[in-house]
Amino acid sequence: MEEDGKEGKKVPALPDLFTWSEDGVHLMSARCGSCGAFFFPMYHEQHKPGCSRQGIEKVLLSKEGKLASYTIQYYMPPPPFKTDREITPYIVGLVEFPEGIQIAGIVVECKSDQLKIGMVMKTTTFKLYHDQGGEEIVTWAFQPAKA
Amino acid sequence: MIAREIAIIGVGMHPWGKFPQKSFIDLGVDAISKALADANIEWNEIETICSGIYIWGGNAGHLSGQYLASVFGETGVPIVNVYNACATGASALRLAYLSIASGQVDVALAIGVDLSPEGFLTAKSDNPRQDRDVLRWRMVGMPNPIYWALECRKRMQKHGTTEEDLARVKVLLSQYGAQNPNARYKKVYTVEEVLTSKMVCDPLRLYEVCATSDGAAALILCAANKARQYTSRPITVAASTIGSAIYGDPTLRISALSAPSKAEAPLLSESYSSSQQAYRISGIGPEDIDILELPDNSSWHYLQYLETCGFCGDGEAERMLQDGETRIGGRIAVCPSGGFSSFGEAIGAQALWQVVEVAMQLRGECGPRQVQKAKVGMAQTYGLMGNSGTTILRV
Repeated sequence: MEEDGKEGKKVPALPDLFTWSEDGVHLMSARCGSCGAFFFPMYHEQHKPGCSRQGIEKVLLSKEGKLASYTIQYYMPPPPFKTDREITPYIVGLVEFPEGIQIAGIVVECKSDQLKIGMVMKTTTFKLYHDQGGEEIVTWAFQPAKA
Repeated sequence: MIAREIAIIGVGMHPWGKFPQKSFIDLGVDAISKALADANIEWNEIETICSGIYIWGGNAGHLSGQYLASVFGETGVPIVNVYNACATGASALRLAYLSIASGQVDVALAIGVDLSPEGFLTAKSDNPRQDRDVLRWRMVGMPNPIYWALECRKRMQKHGTTEEDLARVKVLLSQYGAQNPNARYKKVYTVEEVLTSKMVCDPLRLYEVCATSDGAAALILCAANKARQYTSRPITVAASTIGSAIYGDPTLRISALSAPSKAEAPLLSESYSSSQQAYRISGIGPEDIDILELPDNSSWHYLQYLETCGFCGDGEAERMLQDGETRIGGRIAVCPSGGFSSFGEAIGAQALWQVVEVAMQLRGECGPRQVQKAKVGMAQTYGLMGNSGTTILRV
């Protein structure tokens, strides 16, 4: 899998899913103050049965989590998945965050023989394509925390 | 409690395959015609129609029951179209069952038809706020087999499932598919052939994930006290249930991008729910069942469903398979039809096809793949966003 290109202006392919700063990349979640459940995406609430659904707060998930599972995909998916280059084979990982939620994402900067369940992964971004204005359209991704 | 005993008096199916020259009407009419003939019943005697929605068919597909009924002649009976992803057919069957159980009608038709689009199934809307299916495609590029591969890898880590175990599932099912005239794939495979097939999403190979197919299946249900007017071999429907997911299920469900880390409910909780309901309603348990048609969308499903539905303990499915317990002639015949492995998915139709197969087995009509002395059978579906159906039949 190739590395991201030069740092152009990055724009998320869809809003309200992840954010970044000098501190790093974080997935955007929400936590219910009543049942304690975390949601991803944050706007898809999934409460415990009978919860009063009060006190929902937006939270950023930890930058790092542990790899709970992974697969290597050998075929390019159909639209609406869009990249400006061939990326197969690509890795999809399931990362377990300390908050108690597992989230799927593309894995970058990692060779398939490096993959090991339990390894520490950090959240990053992955360029899908450049739009017409030259902006980098990105999604969230995971990479090994230690190179 | 069951208000009235209900029996299957007629079954029909259009063989599974790819039929680009045919319409869903063609396939549905074929299955219904065969079921009517099998039950020796006239169209005018059908008192309600419960039809699976054909999601790729536009207006006609969403009103599939009305379209199909118009071919045979409109009679004014209640027609209801239902969609529940992989459990669509099971939902149509349950509705037919409940229509009779309630006393509203005595004879009901359940029908499901599907012509799958070519290649991967993909998103059906473009609104990520209300359809998280859009997110999984656009942000991660996640076809359905990726979900199966992620769960399969977890299982391999937890229970030591080997690549050979995954291949063995295909090898066994291919032997049955080869003997089933209704199956799409009839080639018999060796372990080596499966293990050298293309990798689709590691660890799952091409022959270890099911294809998408076209097919149709129909069943005619009748109040048991009237069943012998039509057939000498009525098959009793002991349970027809639908389950939904339970909070705390750690399965990464198809279309979702997240799941709880800590398991507070069983894996595939929707299928656990539907099977447990069926056991409770019927008074029949896994130990009583001779035939199980389970949803082997991938080799992982075959192994996992044996546990989810209580046919063995956690991590014991591989041993059951290796020891021949799941073979025809073993402790329980699993997918003697050849399964999805030999048929391929046809979403709106597959749950009914599974029930047709079990009914044919219980009637002793399955030729070389016949399970001897089978008295009780179960058909179990998968489910897309937390829905699943179980049907238990007995002679």
